Amino acid sequence: MSDLLVDSQIRGWVFLPIVVITFLVGIVRHYISILLASQKKIELQQLQDSQVILRSRLLRENSRFIPRSSFLMRRHFFNNEENGYLTQKRPPVTQNMMTDPTMMTDMLKGNVTNVLPMIIIGGWINWMFSGFITTRVPFPLTLRFKPMLQRGIELMHLDASWVSSASWYFLNVFGLRSIYALVLGENNGADQARQMQDQMSGAAMAMPPDPKVAFKAEWEALEIIDHQWGLQEVENQIVYPLNSC
Amino acid sequence: MNDLSNLSWSEARDLLRTWRDDNDRRSEEVLQLWKSVLEYNLNKLGGEKFSVLEQVCLAALDCYQIPTVDYCIKQLSNEFPSSLRVKKYYAMRLEAQECYDDALTVLDSLIKKDETNNAPRKRKISILRAQGKNVEAIKELTEYLKIFMSDIEGWQELSDLYIAEQDYNKAAFCVEELILHNPHNHLLHQRYADIRYTQGGYDNVELARGYYCQALKLNQNNLRALYGVYLTSSSIAASPKCTAQKKKEMLKLVDWALLEIKKRYSVVKDTFTDNNIEERLSVLQIS
Amino acid sequence: MSNKSKTKSSDVVAYSEVAMRNNSAVVEYCRTSMAALSGCTAGMLGFTGLYGAAFYIFAVTGLWGMLLLKAGSNWQEYFVSRKALLTNGFFGQLFTYVLCWTFIYGMVHVY
Repeated sequence: MSDLLVDSQIRGWVFLPIVVITFLVGIVRHYISILLASQKKIELQQLQDSQVILRSRLLRENSRFIPRSSFLMRRHFFNNEENGYLTQKRPPVTQNMMTDPTMMTDMLKGNVTNVLPMIIIGGWINWMFSGFITTRVPFPLTLRFKPMLQRGIELMHLDASWVSSASWYFLNVFGLRSIYALVLGENNGADQARQMQDQMSGAAMAMPPDPKVAFKAEWEALEIIDHQWGLQEVENQIVYPLNSC
Repeated sequence: MNDLSNLSWSEARDLLRTWRDDNDRRSEEVLQLWKSVLEYNLNKLGGEKFSVLEQVCLAALDCYQIPTVDYCIKQLSNEFPSSLRVKKYYAMRLEAQECYDDALTVLDSLIKKDETNNAPRKRKISILRAQGKNVEAIKELTEYLKIFMSDIEGWQELSDLYIAEQDYNKAAFCVEELILHNPHNHLLHQRYADIRYTQGGYDNVELARGYYCQALKLNQNNLRALYGVYLTSSSIAASPKCTAQKKKEMLKLVDWALLEIKKRYSVVKDTFTDNNIEERLSVLQIS
Repeated sequence: MSNKSKTKSSDVVAYSEVAMRNNSAVVEYCRTSMAALSGCTAGMLGFTGLYGAAFYIFAVTGLWGMLLLKAGSNWQEYFVSRKALLTNGFFGQLFTYVLCWTFIYGMVHVY
């Protein structure tokens, strides 16, 4: 059924190895990232900040279960102008992060487990298996997909649904992530694609988020809440259902 | 519980695992299992060995079996020589033997090593409590809660301490915090209502009534809350501040609660007479 | 799958956060397995083009039906919404499906 005959040796020596290598590299990367993972040292201040955020969020969500005066008291603690927790002035924390040596090692470790294998394995695959047509996607595609699926092969008249070896590798890198979730469990270190997204969204991700921003958002959210005591009419709700049954 | 000693080691392991997952303390049973089955099969447990050792260590502390505690700690510290967690067990052992000062020095060194670890801080507070120094314990605990604000256990302990010191307003504050963390637990609502009712005064009793109702709504079998509804609403109805309209509603609620209570009792016991229950309720009433 | 994820009261419904997360993780697991298995099947049977897409949709609905069958008549105890159970991760799993499909199709039919 295929208009092009592909040597079946390619299956054994290119097509399968790429799948196996990509998969195994993902597994190895998972275990290496476990090995290299360092217990993050948290500052006491940071801990307190996160707990404050948590508590104020709970206050917002469940405020209807406590009396109005209690709610106002708590909001005052978080939001009052002079010394509320969320309105206090903090020295900016960002500049000392670059000088912090533990941050640097963390970033280095991240690079060692993410970027380096990506470059090395990708480059190796490109060099080792370059120029093969490996497979054909079982559905028709438009010509726009040619550069995506036929990297390394510059053939004008080849049908767009044929896949080159380099592109097959990248398809595997992105496609295997849910298989990793299946094999290794959630939140595994093998997920290259997600880590790449993290890196793209800026180096800010690696740093602890500035508490000021979170505090400001929390302050606003808490400020606009209109407290409703949810227990006003509760006796009617219990009396009638119980009476009826 | 004689069948506990006849279990095979894998059954014993599974049983301990269930208890561990459910936060079931069952110290005596754990110790019994340990002595009869697991002590000789420890190495068969594999990776679970250390969790079991921890569990047994706690159980032995509860039952004051210091040799067992020592054995567990020794095993654990052989495996994890620099673990703060194991050192905490050591401190707890000292605590169990009432060597409070030694325990405190160990705990202080632990806190120094890792400021963000809340376990040794909590142990320190519990030592103060064991010594009966409630006021100091409250002071320490408030300092602790300033940092670890969303620690539910801490708030619970603080509310207990305040109740013991009869500082009901502050105890109520702590229970409010617990309610915020876990708004669907009927026992917390009932607790809050208890505190408010104990405080007395028209507004507080009114508040207590609301929370008793809420507790009842969350769990219809909560008899204590039902009693609470009866007591609070009758006390509101009797209050001079109550408007006529409100009084009528309250009396209706009183009748309803009484009816419900009687219904519950009639299920258990057929021979429960009318005036008896009202007499008993009036004993509970706070004037 | 057997976790009861909520407790009922008269008007408000309280969800247990942990149980819900567990349920959705289990469903996600099922879905990934389904995508991988059905992809392999489609490849082996040699579906091309729209037949493969139709087979994927068939597999997704089949899994949905089986989940609901397993949950029984009181599915509200386990899931918030039946529709979200069907549509969640539809496109995410599509990628897995296509990969497996292409892989097995290539293995069996191209060479």
